[in-house]
Amino acid sequence: MATSDSDAGGTDSEAGGDPGPDAEGAGSEHRQPESGSRPDDGNAVALRAVRKTYYLGEPVHALDGVDLVIPRGSYTAVMGPSGSGKSTLLNLIGCLDTPTEGEVWVNDREVSALSQRERTRVRGQEVGFVFQTFNLMPKLTAAENVALPLVFEGIDKRERIDRATELLDEVGLADRAGHRPNELSGGQRQRVAIARALANDPAIILADEPTGNLDQETGTQIMGLFQRLHDEGNTILMVTHERPIAEYAQRVVHVLDGTIERVEEIESPRRVESDGP
Amino acid sequence: MEFAESLRLSVRAVRSHRLRSALTVLGVVIGVAAVITFVTLGTSLRADVLGQVGGERSPNLYVWAGPEGQNGGPGAGAQPVFTTRDLDQLANIEGVASVVPRGIVPTAAISAGNDTVAQRQAIATSPAYFDSGSVADGRAFRQGSREVVVNERAAGLFDPSLSVGATVSLQLASGDSVEAEVVGVQNSSAAGGAFEGLDGGSQPLVFVPTDPFYRTTVESPATGERQRVYPTVTVVAEDFAAVPDAKVGVQAYLTNRSDAARLVPDDYAFAVRSDEDLVDQLQELLTTLTNFVTGIAVISLVVGSIGIANVMLVSVTERTREIGIMKAVGAQNRDVLQLFLIEAVLLGAVGAILGIPVGVAGAYLAGEYIGLDLVLPYEWFAIAVAVGVLVGVVAGLYPAWSASKTDPIDALRYE
Repeated sequence: MATSDSDAGGTDSEAGGDPGPDAEGAGSEHRQPESGSRPDDGNAVALRAVRKTYYLGEPVHALDGVDLVIPRGSYTAVMGPSGSGKSTLLNLIGCLDTPTEGEVWVNDREVSALSQRERTRVRGQEVGFVFQTFNLMPKLTAAENVALPLVFEGIDKRERIDRATELLDEVGLADRAGHRPNELSGGQRQRVAIARALANDPAIILADEPTGNLDQETGTQIMGLFQRLHDEGNTILMVTHERPIAEYAQRVVHVLDGTIERVEEIESPRRVESDGP
Repeated sequence: MEFAESLRLSVRAVRSHRLRSALTVLGVVIGVAAVITFVTLGTSLRADVLGQVGGERSPNLYVWAGPEGQNGGPGAGAQPVFTTRDLDQLANIEGVASVVPRGIVPTAAISAGNDTVAQRQAIATSPAYFDSGSVADGRAFRQGSREVVVNERAAGLFDPSLSVGATVSLQLASGDSVEAEVVGVQNSSAAGGAFEGLDGGSQPLVFVPTDPFYRTTVESPATGERQRVYPTVTVVAEDFAAVPDAKVGVQAYLTNRSDAARLVPDDYAFAVRSDEDLVDQLQELLTTLTNFVTGIAVISLVVGSIGIANVMLVSVTERTREIGIMKAVGAQNRDVLQLFLIEAVLLGAVGAILGIPVGVAGAYLAGEYIGLDLVLPYEWFAIAVAVGVLVGVVAGLYPAWSASKTDPIDALRYE
């Protein structure tokens, strides 16, 4: 299983939530697309020869030929200096942006070819965003914020309330459901944002510096929550510039000047001991 | 996205900026209220005027010669051109029941007992003038007698007020004084005929028989005799059905064979108006007036809608980040558009709904002030709400559209 699953079938077992095989078999993973595997073979996300060029007077390649596969159930950190293309990478996977060249696959669907409308649908259904600045709707309560993605999916109100309650309970904020963001602490806000990211049961959670605005202890709690979500089988892609935070992930993708410089496997990812929120 | 949810979110957005929303709504309230006030006043004025004129429609034709092209009321600019011969001829036209001349006897004052009251004129006419039964007390005067009929308003000028049997002294403009007996008192509510104007009943009127009081005469071009000559004539048709034919007959006679045609100054024209014509003319005038004033009020409504557009633009800019968040979690452009449009429509509709009672209150106050009974134009209330919604849509369309087009990447980065 060790060598073959990185080429084709590895993600099947990973989807079950066991991080073990991935850590062992991923030594060759950064070469995976070249070795003939199809990008739509059951990965949560696959990027193939993605290039994103901005024309600011002269062409600037924010991403310049990126190949990346995020298997289902994996926990990946992206590191790199500012301007290296981390955000562009996240925006492309999150269907907020389209590549100039290449293909982006999310949950076995090529999203780079979709219309804006369809990309928005994918975004609502397959992607959960977690931001550095939480980005909660200030006038909505915690529960309403969590239920917001369901509103745009046209889910019925009773179901929305049930789901929001369940998710808030999961992130340990059942008693804060009726509070507005400004009545919550930073850590609580981020947990509401994470609950919101989970609302539509997405294929991947995209976290952009999720601990950037939190103190270390609260940041650790959030990492504990991510760890639990990962253990439960969720796929997480996290952008960070803090090495210790990145080490909670199974592997770290180092981005530099729009290319993937190297993919580093973390032999034994850090664990938060008590991950209770 | 469900409509109910959009509405809920929009209501919340509106309520989160109470003062700003209130001021924006106020702009629409003032606009709608202004329109409602003026439309209500216009409708009421029309109902009032037409009620006075059209209330007691009679099969009358009002005839006078006025300056060509002049569009004044009955008798405007009338010159005395209708001779006694003309009256007789007019009475022979098919469909005509009677012909009632009307002339002015200039006076200086009227005295009764010790009271002397200034009075500019007496109206000289024939007893047929009172055929409609407008004499409440007593009877119409007789031709050739020194008798007068006064209306209640004129009777009330004296203390004690004039009653049937009293003797009055008419001081004519020529300086002569003529004694006469009051034989009838005309009901004030009687409009007093089209030539007396719309508010005829509210002015003191004194009626005298043409014989012996009316002395304006001219040599009849047809007969060569000196005859009385009148500025205005009322031709009474046999019934309403006879009015159109009688009108044609009267016009034909006047232009072709009458003394009046020869006496009339060059640039004067004959006017033959039925009650119907007068009502139409009046209605047209009132409509023009109402439209004009309403037009001015609409300007304030336009200003109100600019207020909405302005606030919505600010709101979109201010909530750029929220728009980004919504888009990041799956809001379609259409959802965002809907949200902001509903918000704008909400402001417009609430403004319109509040503007209606305010406008009615304004009309009520103005009506009290000028003594007008209000007639509420209910269809305009519906129009006002529709306009409020429309104003919201028009004012909110561009801001909502620009909100929907916001790029989520930029919006999320927006501080």
